[in-house]
Amino acid sequence: MGEYPSKEGVDTMEMEELTPHIEELQRVLGDKIDEQQIMEELNKYLNEYHVNIDAAKRGIIRKYGGSEVSSFVTGNSLVKKVAELTGSEQNVDITAKVVFVDTKEITSKGLPKKILSGILGDETGTVSFTVWEPGSMVLAKGSVYHFRNCYCKTWNEKVQVNIGSRGRVEVAEGIKIDLPERQISAAPPTEIKIGNIKEGMGSVTVTGKVISVETREITARGEKKTVYSGMIADDTGKIQFSAWSDFGIKEGESLCIQNGYIRAWKGIPQLNLGDRCEVSRVDAITEIVDTSSNKKTVDEITRIGGGLDITVEGLVVDVRQGSGIIRRCPQCNRSILNGACTTHGIVDGVMDLRLKIVLDDGTGALGAVVNRADTEKLTGVTLQAAQGLAAVKGEGVVGREITSKILMKRIRITGNVMSDDYGPSMIVKSAEKVDINLEEEANKLLDEVEAAI
Amino acid sequence: MNARETAWRVFATELNSSTLEIKATEEKMPSYIVTPLGAKINRVLVAGVLTEKENMGSEEEPMWRGRIQDVSGNFFINIGKFQPEASAAIADIEVPSLVAAVGRVRSYTTDDQRVFVTVRPEHIVQINQTVRNEWILETAKSTWKRLTATKKVLSMGEATEQDLVKAGMSPVEAFGITYALDNYGQMPDSALYLKTIQAALRMLLPDRDVDLGFPEDLSDEPDEIEIPENGGGNNAAQLEDLILNLLEELDTDGKGAPREELERRAEAEGISSIELEEVSNTLMDKGLVYEPNLRYLKRI
Repeated sequence: MGEYPSKEGVDTMEMEELTPHIEELQRVLGDKIDEQQIMEELNKYLNEYHVNIDAAKRGIIRKYGGSEVSSFVTGNSLVKKVAELTGSEQNVDITAKVVFVDTKEITSKGLPKKILSGILGDETGTVSFTVWEPGSMVLAKGSVYHFRNCYCKTWNEKVQVNIGSRGRVEVAEGIKIDLPERQISAAPPTEIKIGNIKEGMGSVTVTGKVISVETREITARGEKKTVYSGMIADDTGKIQFSAWSDFGIKEGESLCIQNGYIRAWKGIPQLNLGDRCEVSRVDAITEIVDTSSNKKTVDEITRIGGGLDITVEGLVVDVRQGSGIIRRCPQCNRSILNGACTTHGIVDGVMDLRLKIVLDDGTGALGAVVNRADTEKLTGVTLQAAQGLAAVKGEGVVGREITSKILMKRIRITGNVMSDDYGPSMIVKSAEKVDINLEEEANKLLDEVEAAI
Repeated sequence: MNARETAWRVFATELNSSTLEIKATEEKMPSYIVTPLGAKINRVLVAGVLTEKENMGSEEEPMWRGRIQDVSGNFFINIGKFQPEASAAIADIEVPSLVAAVGRVRSYTTDDQRVFVTVRPEHIVQINQTVRNEWILETAKSTWKRLTATKKVLSMGEATEQDLVKAGMSPVEAFGITYALDNYGQMPDSALYLKTIQAALRMLLPDRDVDLGFPEDLSDEPDEIEIPENGGGNNAAQLEDLILNLLEELDTDGKGAPREELERRAEAEGISSIELEEVSNTLMDKGLVYEPNLRYLKRI
């Protein structure tokens, strides 16, 4: 005890007051620290740095890896249970289990960036979270962590926990948290038509017919997994599904999928069959969308966000830069600028022909990238002819030439559509010019108008 | 969202009778014109005959003005230095030629409070007869769609935007129609648009005797795309008297005559709803009747 501080007025009385705290620290930290060290630490916190006793205790427990932080909660430190979060917290500590976590690639200020996002939960509920500066942090699903100095926001009236640059995540050893059953998604699953599925919907119940199914082996975090994926359709649309365990799904069956959840990949919603999902066989569904043609207006696409194999018809109202002759990296096939690939440096580019167009059907506008074969088909200009023209008059002329062949032309394109801030865009799989039967259509309109007035 | 604005298909009549504007209040926010039929337009796709063009600027810095005539009237176009592609293109186009143009719309208010709508094409290209006719068909269809949607909204009574979306309209349509009905303060002149559709169908179906019951009197006066005068037809005065009498008879509570009831009675008298609307417009122009609200018509 000789090293205990002997400043005026703090000795014995302090000592007496401190005794319960010391005992508490010993109880929490067990054999991680002896009494001598506790005294030294307390001395440092209280007398050198003049922090209050609660902060001192928390600091010591953190430093030595105690596990019962919450039992030290006092009025001036904000520790909350998940259910207590309001969404306005500026600085809050949460101890919770990671229910789900994934690495996401986002673009921040024009630069690619990795973040971690997922769902965490405790006995009181679950909440989604994002770690904005994960560095090399790895969070394991099912493990319990202390999420410190988090801030909360609300989005779509739901609380989100954010761990920013000031935040920290520490393993909470020895703490067990049992989540209440079926708390992962607060909203009950809604029965929905496939055509109405949008990104960000959460839990859904869908009834449809399996168009295709295949098995894939993937490696997720060093673990081999089998994924069952395919396409399911009803009378309003079709959607890609992925099952993470074997539900025995076979092509041609009609299924009711309860508690599936919707996650979007690049704006295209996909149906996921997770652990909580229930699959049951139902009476054969006969009416499904023509899966060979999934025709939509741009307005419909904009409202859904995106989808697979969508067909749109409209007029080419603009041809964007980057149309005409381009060069691709021979290694990664991406288009290159000024002879340099962003990944592979200076390369000997391979010539290609493509179109970047804006298609407008009167309900909205859609960007589309058309590959060489379809560009040749639509414009009648072959790569060979374009190269010839470029050799004589320059590549700029090629761009103008193919623009003049396609602008204001009516075409039908099919491909996968995704959306971003600039609206929907399609990678075109097939394209063709459209001829309208003017007389038939005009007669139809006339009949309709005459019947109505 | 910075999504590209839709290129609306509208006839000159609808675009030129638009006086309602939603002005941008922030930078980079687009401005819109809302037509009487509820099209909320930033960009249009138009087609027709380029009847005249003139370079008001100089060789170095051209400023083109021109007119594109469709089946109903004229689109006024301006092409300046910010539309280099269209500027280069129009220089080479002979008048008259069939053209299609896509561009943003702008409106100007003259000193005497008349509103002019112009189009600034980003692209203008020569087209053939087929492409022009396809545009006419598409535009007639979309005009008809807006007209029927507007009628539907009027028949629904006090419907909010949300109600309309629930009833199957797209959010854009629901907003546009609600905004137009709330702000124009009068029903759209459906006779005008029906006449335009009639003209479009006559063009597309020359062999079929298209007659929706409108005289072919669309005033083609380029500068005056005002609502054409009504009446002048068969027994106009008689019809007016008949309607006035009906109005009086149906106005049981002083609120005016309910439109639906009026339409039913008029139909029983052999007056189509289109005719009824024409006559009521004439009566309104003459100051003999007014609309206390959109579902009532009242004699003054």
